[in-house]
Amino acid sequence: MNDIAISLAIVAFVVFGTIIFALVGVHRIKMDPAQYIVGGRSFGTIFLWVLLAGEIYTTFTFLGIAGLSYSQGAPAFYVMAYGTCAYVMAYFITPRIWRVGRDCNLLTGPDFFETRYNSRLLGIFVAVIMFVMIVPYVAIQLSGLQILLRIAGYGTYNATASVCIAFLVLALFVFSAGLRGTAWASIVKDVLVLAAVAFAGLAIPTRFFGSPSGLMQKLFETHPQMLMLPAGGAFHGTVWFASTVLLSAVGFFMGPHSFNAVYSARSGDTLRRNAMLLPFYQCLVSLMIFAGLSATLISPGLKGPDVDQSFLLIVQRYYPSWILGLVASAGALAALVPASALLLAGASVITKNVCNDAFGIATSPKSQTMLTRSLVLAVALLALGVWLVAQKTVVELLLLYYNGVSQFAPGVVATFVWRRASAWSVGAGIVAGLAVAVPLAALNITPWGANAGFVGLVANVAVLIAVTLATRTRGGA
Amino acid sequence: MRPAPPSGAVAIRLFLAAVPVAALSVAVPLVNRVEPRIFGLPFLLCWLVAWVLLTPAFIWAIGRIERHW
Repeated sequence: MNDIAISLAIVAFVVFGTIIFALVGVHRIKMDPAQYIVGGRSFGTIFLWVLLAGEIYTTFTFLGIAGLSYSQGAPAFYVMAYGTCAYVMAYFITPRIWRVGRDCNLLTGPDFFETRYNSRLLGIFVAVIMFVMIVPYVAIQLSGLQILLRIAGYGTYNATASVCIAFLVLALFVFSAGLRGTAWASIVKDVLVLAAVAFAGLAIPTRFFGSPSGLMQKLFETHPQMLMLPAGGAFHGTVWFASTVLLSAVGFFMGPHSFNAVYSARSGDTLRRNAMLLPFYQCLVSLMIFAGLSATLISPGLKGPDVDQSFLLIVQRYYPSWILGLVASAGALAALVPASALLLAGASVITKNVCNDAFGIATSPKSQTMLTRSLVLAVALLALGVWLVAQKTVVELLLLYYNGVSQFAPGVVATFVWRRASAWSVGAGIVAGLAVAVPLAALNITPWGANAGFVGLVANVAVLIAVTLATRTRGGA
Repeated sequence: MRPAPPSGAVAIRLFLAAVPVAALSVAVPLVNRVEPRIFGLPFLLCWLVAWVLLTPAFIWAIGRIERHW
């Protein structure tokens, strides 16, 4: 067998093996909507930790951190910082979200807004925005998957067909297994990703530079400017760093799929323990920084989107095909597992908040499950279609995700700290935040070096407060 | 309902939460330097790694004050 066959066979074996493993894990579970969408609110500390780590660390983590380290160096350090800040905030906010979810039997992120602000309109509005964010976010996972498969095949084929097959199999898997299946698949994914990250971050520097500190010594001599941030308001400077860390931390648990994961916890303390334990995973994943920095010295010269492939190309060139196969499988699962959580979140948002609430379709538990399942397939086909016909646009749409997802945070926090905040003020805040952040991000404008989403968040909070003060106290609940 | 934490604990908990968040974000301009190197790592990277590893201790302390564990 030649190298191409070995490495691709390993990827196929791991991906399909993981799916079968997860299907076995859930085969006795009877699916009602709460079981299918939020795992029956029964996940304990370890299982939830595995699920959260599984869906938080995507192909961006795998390829993007290495790519950013490769091309810029120190700005990539922000990955360590924002997740950790997010967990501190999550300690306070996620148990409160979970409690509302349990008491009011919530299934989706928009449900939370609908219930707390007693406004079906706000729920539908949030649902539509979340859905628009999900599609490009799934599509970008497919781009990551394609890069991985192409490298696993030593560049001999362009992998579009394989991406389609792998993704459709994944959609069928989500159709049958729901959130619990995603959690089972995360077990394999987390183990493989940690192994791949340890390999990339420790074995590569050791082989080429003697040790990770040997790598650093070499960088001190050749690229000292890569080991610290540019000053102040410069591109990727310290202002960018601080504002991006804060913005990303605020948005960390506001993704539509994050609400499902929060609801799936067995108790509030399960979430608190996870907030305490997740930084350790973060620390390990950050070893990818060493992989990217190694690639800077070993194979300089990659430009543009190719920087994301930097460390994989080293594995491809200097290591045996079975190692390449395992690293690529870890990356493939890092694309597919979060994609499965996103498909489920997208389908449940449309079922619950659009079909049920807005149009009164499929309100019985049985038809709700059936509709969610069918929509998983529909959303998968939509994302695949968008990815196939409009890859360029997908990247632009992602700006909406990264800058937009944090705009839900003020509404979530306000409901716990300021009872006067109303559906109208929260809705107006979200609109203002998006209206500021998305154009700034699209035009690449960074006021005073700050992240565009952060500026949007400031506008969001200002509008929320202004509209709340301008209207009379909120009626009803 | 669990017993409410003793009064004054709110300030302590907020402080314990704010320290790691500030250390990892707004404090970064102050520690943006390569020297002194620790274990061969540039100071900025070392600072961030140290705070990522210390943060669980802060969260643990908050949980103790709130009597969750």
